[in-house]
Amino acid sequence: MDPSFRSAQRTLQGWAPDLPLQADGGAPLETLGRVVEPPRLLAAPVVEDSALRARPVGGEPEVGFLAFLDGIQRSRVLAYHDGLPVVFGVVAAVIRLRVNRRLHSWTGGPLVERRIYLPLAYLPSELAAHFRAAGLDVVDTTAVGPDQAIPIRHPLALLDRAIHLVQEDREGAEQTLAERWCNAERAPIFIDGGLNKSELVARSPNAVGVVKSHRTLYVEGDALDQVFRLRGGERSSVFRIPSSRRTPVASWYLRLRDPAGHDPLFGLVRVEAADAELAGESLPALTARADRLSRWILAESSPLSLPDGRWDRMVYGIRDCEEYLRAVI
Amino acid sequence: MDTEPPSVLSSPLPLLGRVVATERRPNTAFEFHFWTALDAPVGIGSIVRADGERPVNGQVPIVYGVVTEGLSYTDLQSPLHDVLGHDGEPSHATAAATERAEIRLYSAAVLRQIPEEPMQPVPMGRVHLADDADVAAALRMDGYLRDGESRGIPVGVYHGGGVESPIYLDADFLVGPEAAHLNITGVSGLATKTSAAEWLIASLFAHFPASKGSVAAVCFNVKGPDLLFLDQPGELDERDRAVYERLGVPAEPFEKVEYYAPYTARGYTLNTLRSNEALSANVHPLTWGLREVLQYAEVLLNRDDVDAKADALIDFIKERVIDREFTDPLLRRPYRVQTFGELEEWFRDLLMAIEGRGGGGDSWRTHHVATIRKVRNRLSNISTRCAGLVTDDGAVSDLPFGNLSDRTVYVVDVAMLEEDAQDLIFARVVSKLREHLERRDLGVNHVVVFVDELNKYAPSDGPDTYVRKMLLDISERGRYLGLVLFSAQQFRSQVHRRVVGNAGSSLYGRMDADELSTPGYAVLSPAIRTRLATLDRGQMMVRHPHFTQPIFMRFPRPAVMRGRDGVEQYPQAEEPTLEAAILRSLLTLDRSLSLSWVQDVIALASEEEALRARNVTLLARPADVRSFFAAQFRAVVGARTPGRPVVAPALRVLADDDPYGF
Ligand SMILES: Nc1ncnc2c1ncn2[C@@H]1O[C@H](COP(=O)(O)OP(=O)(O)O)[C@@H](O)[C@H]1O
Ligand SMILES: [Mg+2]
Repeated sequence: MDPSFRSAQRTLQGWAPDLPLQADGGAPLETLGRVVEPPRLLAAPVVEDSALRARPVGGEPEVGFLAFLDGIQRSRVLAYHDGLPVVFGVVAAVIRLRVNRRLHSWTGGPLVERRIYLPLAYLPSELAAHFRAAGLDVVDTTAVGPDQAIPIRHPLALLDRAIHLVQEDREGAEQTLAERWCNAERAPIFIDGGLNKSELVARSPNAVGVVKSHRTLYVEGDALDQVFRLRGGERSSVFRIPSSRRTPVASWYLRLRDPAGHDPLFGLVRVEAADAELAGESLPALTARADRLSRWILAESSPLSLPDGRWDRMVYGIRDCEEYLRAVI
Repeated sequence: MDTEPPSVLSSPLPLLGRVVATERRPNTAFEFHFWTALDAPVGIGSIVRADGERPVNGQVPIVYGVVTEGLSYTDLQSPLHDVLGHDGEPSHATAAATERAEIRLYSAAVLRQIPEEPMQPVPMGRVHLADDADVAAALRMDGYLRDGESRGIPVGVYHGGGVESPIYLDADFLVGPEAAHLNITGVSGLATKTSAAEWLIASLFAHFPASKGSVAAVCFNVKGPDLLFLDQPGELDERDRAVYERLGVPAEPFEKVEYYAPYTARGYTLNTLRSNEALSANVHPLTWGLREVLQYAEVLLNRDDVDAKADALIDFIKERVIDREFTDPLLRRPYRVQTFGELEEWFRDLLMAIEGRGGGGDSWRTHHVATIRKVRNRLSNISTRCAGLVTDDGAVSDLPFGNLSDRTVYVVDVAMLEEDAQDLIFARVVSKLREHLERRDLGVNHVVVFVDELNKYAPSDGPDTYVRKMLLDISERGRYLGLVLFSAQQFRSQVHRRVVGNAGSSLYGRMDADELSTPGYAVLSPAIRTRLATLDRGQMMVRHPHFTQPIFMRFPRPAVMRGRDGVEQYPQAEEPTLEAAILRSLLTLDRSLSLSWVQDVIALASEEEALRARNVTLLARPADVRSFFAAQFRAVVGARTPGRPVVAPALRVLADDDPYGF
């Protein structure tokens, strides 16, 4: 177990010696699978064709990415204070650079952040001060959330909120690294997940986001059928994911492996890249770009990322990031 | 051991890896694990140093180890995943954009921990390749390599990651008194066993500590021309020379070598492949008479299952018949038996008398007549089976027991002899060495006896022969006497356990897979066994009491001519005429002799007389060879009737006033 977890427990004990600690910290909260986004269908405007359809990628897979970025998170309950969870969370992100077909960490290793997630509204404020004095950042799990409400004093509500905040911090760490890359390098990077949390990254010609989870599908009706029918090595037409608060991005579905005999989402990823309109790109140029990036992504489907359960759509470089981070935190 | 621990600040070689331990693969006090970069210059047999990270009792622990096993694997959980990943097409594999994460994980056996107390499991830490000082510390050589009083005998260089570090054996544990003996194993031709023995004797001569006195070597040449050119230079390459230089051993052939060989059955020449005239100066005959042989009669007899009754008769002959006047009412005249010929005469007369006696039963002095016949047969056989070694006339030419000289190699060539003769020579030479060492009058304080093909002389199964008992005795008690056995054989498992078991040090060259699968090697890791099966010439694994683990090292070619080069460069002399053979022998005493002179001198003599005269002359080494040799014939003619051998000193007087013997 992460030694920093023990030291956080000791810090807590220093303030409340009699507080019974969670013996082994319990299971990581992430494995409990509390926060589940509901499945959604959401239509997005197609920009490449008049209607969304399957497209070949215009050639054999080819190697194009120089680096991979991903992050992980892990949170555990240190103790319950009057029934209220005191959560310790670690987030980490790393860029793994490919040199001579082997992966190495980019400039100085991973970004690791450790924080305490506390329901400040319900706990004595000295506790937060005590953690801060010990050099730990404290995050308030009772701050006003996106729903404009303070979580109720239900331990599970507070835990859900904590996990959510840890996840945001993880995305923040990933975004920090992605921005560093886009500022420093000119080479293409494969990023796990969407791009549009950062304006800089969303506009970068070098950043490619690859989304593996499809709680939200950006197609409806006939377009949905088209996506389900994509065969291995085919992509969909490019569509646009608009956003009121964020930078729009170009996106398309890509099938990494043939789904015959599997579920409809098998081997399916959704690619995000800089928006064509923002870049002032012609339609043929957009097609060429989507084809090229698709070929690059297809080239990453070997070696397999087994035994990861998401091996059908997770590329080896991303698994390598996760394994690396699991080894260091 | 009261040695200074090497300083933690000593600058070690570049970082090699890190110690790792998991619950499933923990470190212990005797083994640890570390990982390295994929291209790290480390392999099975490498010596490494692990530096701990926190002090124990105020001292940061240092652990030395030798790599015994290496593992390489990737993050692949099942080979099937790789197949799936490449659609079952091996050719697709090269196209993958990324290579899988891969690990090099090594296991090392602990050689030494500093501090030695408290003995703890190996801590986490950094791992480096060992440098010279580390190797010395790891193998506890620092205890006997001190300046001015070094007992180190270089045995080879350890090669690790671009550095070559000398490996020394402790003289106290190689030639006694703490431990002794060396055994060398490995397949023929590839293991370089004989070469290793030659090299180590050279090294021993160069580095034997002055405080321990003098040392000589007695080598039995048992195979072809193996050891016959130790005084001739051999071919060395640059690498060999560098090792000689590094280890401070002169890259030169042995300065003092003396060769001994019996005559051929015909008796003209010595029975050795070193017969080229250019090399004859230090080749000496080895001949023994009845007395010498009877002392070791049991060597040859017990093999034929001679029983206690025969033993009793032989003892009787040794004590009552040989070399003294023997009379018996049954015999018509007194006998004085000094040669095989006279012994045969005695037997013949005795048996005739017993038979002729009529009705007196079939025994004589408690010895049954059948026993007498049997012993007669056996003994008269010896002079035939060992023809060339055993002389009928009693002339003895021997190694200079009592007068062995320091740093000299005495080679006894038995390669061309029958087994019986080999055994006899072996038994007598070693016994004489032992007797003299016990009396401290051998001439040297220590003698190394080198026996190749040990499995023939001390086999693990088969009858308990005299020779095997003797080898066992040396291996168990020799170290107190300074009698040291260097031995070699193809298969250690075929040698008597206690003989090899008592060897303090062992070398292993290229090994045979069958041999490696015998129980004796089960303690070695599979990787070490594989390395043993693939060793190159000149590479050996060494075990020594100070080394807690076997160490791989390399030694140079011996700086002496290889046997097969020797026989090419110095072809054998052709079987000469009697005159030429005699001339050749006598030339070693007097370079001015000529063939015509020999022809003149022996013109009227029989072959037997001529050879006998030569033997007597060689033995006496007279100042005036011509007159001494010539005098033999006049004397023989004058005193022919009794079968008594000519006594040299009496003749010298005769010879003095008649230089040509006529
Ligand atoms: N140190 C060495 N390095 C390389 N070759 C060697 C070395 N020592 C001996 N050899 C070669 O190996 C061959 C076999 O050596 P030898 O000692 O006769 O082996 P064995 O006694 O095991 O049969 C010889 O021809 C010799 O030249
Ligand atoms: Mg040999």
